[in-house]
Amino acid sequence: MTGKQTAAYFFRKAVELLATLLLVSLFTFLAFSVIPGDTARVMLGANATAEQVEALRAELGLDRPLPVRYLSWLGGAFTGNLGNSTQYRTSVGGLIVSRLPVTLGMSVLAFCMIILISYPLAVLSSRKPGKLADQVCSVLGHVLFAIPPFVLSLLLIFITGSLFKKVSVGSYTAPDVNFGMYVRSLMLPAFAIALPKIAMTFKFLRSSIIEQKASDYVATAKSHGLSDYKIMFRHILPNSNVSSITVISLVLSDILGGSLIVEQVFNLPGLGRLLLSAISQRDFPLLSGIVFYLALVTVLLYFAADIFSSLSDPRIRIR
Amino acid sequence: MNKNVDTARAKRFYTVGIILLAVVVAAFLISLFWTPYDPYATDAASKLLPPSSAHPFGTDNFGRDVLSRVMCAAKFTVFISVSGVAIALFLGTLTGLPAGYFGGFADRSIMLVNNSIMCFPGILLALVAVAVFGASMYNVVWALGLVFAPTFARVYRAGTIEVKEYDYITHARVMGVNPVRIMLLHILPNLVPQLLPATVIGLANMTLFESGMSYLGLGVQPPDASFGKMLAESQAYIRVAPWLVIFPSMMLVFYILGLYFISEGMRVSLTKGGGS
Repeated sequence: MTGKQTAAYFFRKAVELLATLLLVSLFTFLAFSVIPGDTARVMLGANATAEQVEALRAELGLDRPLPVRYLSWLGGAFTGNLGNSTQYRTSVGGLIVSRLPVTLGMSVLAFCMIILISYPLAVLSSRKPGKLADQVCSVLGHVLFAIPPFVLSLLLIFITGSLFKKVSVGSYTAPDVNFGMYVRSLMLPAFAIALPKIAMTFKFLRSSIIEQKASDYVATAKSHGLSDYKIMFRHILPNSNVSSITVISLVLSDILGGSLIVEQVFNLPGLGRLLLSAISQRDFPLLSGIVFYLALVTVLLYFAADIFSSLSDPRIRIR
Repeated sequence: MNKNVDTARAKRFYTVGIILLAVVVAAFLISLFWTPYDPYATDAASKLLPPSSAHPFGTDNFGRDVLSRVMCAAKFTVFISVSGVAIALFLGTLTGLPAGYFGGFADRSIMLVNNSIMCFPGILLALVAVAVFGASMYNVVWALGLVFAPTFARVYRAGTIEVKEYDYITHARVMGVNPVRIMLLHILPNLVPQLLPATVIGLANMTLFESGMSYLGLGVQPPDASFGKMLAESQAYIRVAPWLVIFPSMMLVFYILGLYFISEGMRVSLTKGGGS
């Protein structure tokens, strides 16, 4: 492994990242420009005259050629200026930022739950593979994985509702008002998103740990008299990290997608609700803004995952 | 010995999976000819009735028979997932096979487009497609087919890269056989072992998406029944009429879980059992 190879790897990754970002932005832009439903016509309603529509088109810059519009949209996208929403009449960027505490908070909570639950379970379950505890975990994992997050949400609402009579579903407290209440209002939805992903991460980690345990270096470490504890934390887990980083990046992008629906079940004012209102009002500037930023986050997540796995396993950089 | 254990495990997965799936498929097949009641007929006199011998799954807030509606919903769910996966398989053949076979620039550009599509959270892409073209069952099928195509393209590509090195394919290539013919007649049949589990998982994942979209009101449109929409409508009655939530979710989970178990059985029997 030379420094040159490493540099070449990072350079290639960076070029890939840029190309992907450009394509993602192009797809987003084209989807909302080429396709039916003239934005100006939608904004003014059916009663507007042709002149009014033309005037608004000129004002919004819709009369310019497509490549020019793409470039100006792209420039806006990277400077955070995505124009104004046609229904709220305020800036798209501001609207998205105002909804972030819900979606982001929920995603972060769900992610913490996934890591905190699936790692210990996988370590415990892989101690005695095939034994009762392991089998119970595996079957439960399969079942949880098969339940759509919004159905899990309904079940959780039902269960918590009958256990504790006073469960506040649909009440949301902003983080700057009362942070404790904010976290509490997001707990249940976060758990609903996390459960299937816990099952997925658990299943993956478990088989990866079992695989590592059968390898020669673990036998060697054992013969040197290292404790099981040390072998697990110093050798097995770091080695299964490489592939778990990839899985975790997939899980993270899934969490984002899942939160869009689960928010709706719990009636939380997050990006999901903003997206739905944009869809029903055909608010294309807002819609393209949400789509682009969510895709941007995913692209960056995958990029970060690639970098992290190459850092923990230098062999990847040569490939 | 290990092989026997794996075969037994695969068999268990298959058995449970097929039983679960059979429940849903039976509901779907029977609904084509007969349902206990008209699934669209409202009846103000029998609103929110709990399960009984007359209505085994109870009735909803419009007095419609839940069993009949669940059977209808099974029909749409199976239809959407099967036709969506068929579209994804077709698009995957179109992109993944040539990418793996020709390699080089064609491969890099196809995969770049592919990976860029995969960067949009799947459900988002499907929602937007439906938003732009209008909410209807056929648009959901198209949108989901498109969203899942890159996943299948990857399976095709990885398989093709492996298979194209086989001697008889090199031979065919040297003899000057048309690449399209090589890909479709010689490579494609070899990919079935990888494609089969991917297809089954695709069916399950597509159903997860479709039910979510229907829950949001952007999937199957009322008055047609779908599990997602039924659950959305019954959410308000979750305390007074839990059966409205339980039966549709049960059938939905049966379908997805059945598919997962079958794919798991395939994985166990194809990878471990066959190899060792």
